[in-house]
Amino acid sequence: MVLRSRGKARRLTRCLLLLAPVLMFAALLALMQWLAGMPVTWLWLKTILVFLAAKVVVRFVPWDRWLFRLREGSLLFHVALFALFVRHFAFVLVAEGRRAFTARALAAPRRYGSGWFSSLAFAVSAFFTRSIVRAERFYAGQWVRGIGE
Amino acid sequence: MTAALEVERLGFAFDSGREVLREVCFTVADGECLGVVGANGSGKSTLLWCVLGLYRAEGEVRLFGEPLSRKNRHKVGVVFQNPEDQLFMPRLVEDVALPLLNRGVPAADAARRASAALDLAGLGGAVARPASQLSLGERKRAAIAAALVTSPELLILDEPTAELDGRSVRRLAAMLGELRVARLIASHDLTFLRGLCSRLVVLSEGTVVAEGPAAAILGDTPLLEQAGLV
Repeated sequence: MVLRSRGKARRLTRCLLLLAPVLMFAALLALMQWLAGMPVTWLWLKTILVFLAAKVVVRFVPWDRWLFRLREGSLLFHVALFALFVRHFAFVLVAEGRRAFTARALAAPRRYGSGWFSSLAFAVSAFFTRSIVRAERFYAGQWVRGIGE
Repeated sequence: MTAALEVERLGFAFDSGREVLREVCFTVADGECLGVVGANGSGKSTLLWCVLGLYRAEGEVRLFGEPLSRKNRHKVGVVFQNPEDQLFMPRLVEDVALPLLNRGVPAADAARRASAALDLAGLGGAVARPASQLSLGERKRAAIAAALVTSPELLILDEPTAELDGRSVRRLAAMLGELRVARLIASHDLTFLRGLCSRLVVLSEGTVVAEGPAAAILGDTPLLEQAGLV
């Protein structure tokens, strides 16, 4: 019983952690409106709702299987293809981010020890550089197949 | 006979001013398999990117006698070092069929031709799986199938054996050996190229330092040492 509730708690924590970047982004939007002296609109809530709706659609609707049923060259075809590009690149970013930050954690394992902050800065810059390189290669990969044009 | 690919006085420097290629010249005959060998950083990948027109370089690149342009680029199939740069669809068959679909081939026909190409690559059982679930060797073969499905007249491969185990290298070599199209392979894997290429071009610090029959080049140990290959 204890084990089961611990498992539930862990799953809930994982869900909340997944939501954390979106919540932070929404909070930042509201904060920027407030700091600029503008009325704080419902934009932050809409952001969270759109994310949740997109998450549900991606989880339960097999949209990625529809590409071949769409007419080539149609607007929907291009939209689906673009969504697949974006999804693939999101995976690439996550993988590159993991690599850069794992390498950094191995190189500077002691928190707040010598090089801890500088290695963090280098990991972030490496992440951006590698992302740009991967984006360039991915675009080139599709361009030579006649798709990225 | 017209050469499949002619590269003349190709030169390239990055915006920083670093010169990567200087006066590179070579030809690939129709049906021939030419290897470009060189140590890491010798300019092999940059050379391929320049040949493909992905980098704007000095010099001339001709494909079957005509300058490489949008009109004739479809004659070239390319396999990059990392198959993840080319495969991204939910199912392998869709990845391979996409270039056909893009050229106006009906979806059913494109899917049939893609399945046949995957069969040839020994991936007939993986058509419904995403590339991310395959081993690196399988992904490389899938990328080759995706490049071959449009029946290119020249196939360009960048470091095809990078990170592959011995068995995967042998399967890849067997697959490439059976092809009859002109092939340009950049690699530093001499064993792989020995069995596959009739001629080799040796690249060192962005220039061609030797060109000739594969057996002669691979038997010249001082040359290979100078090029950083042994």
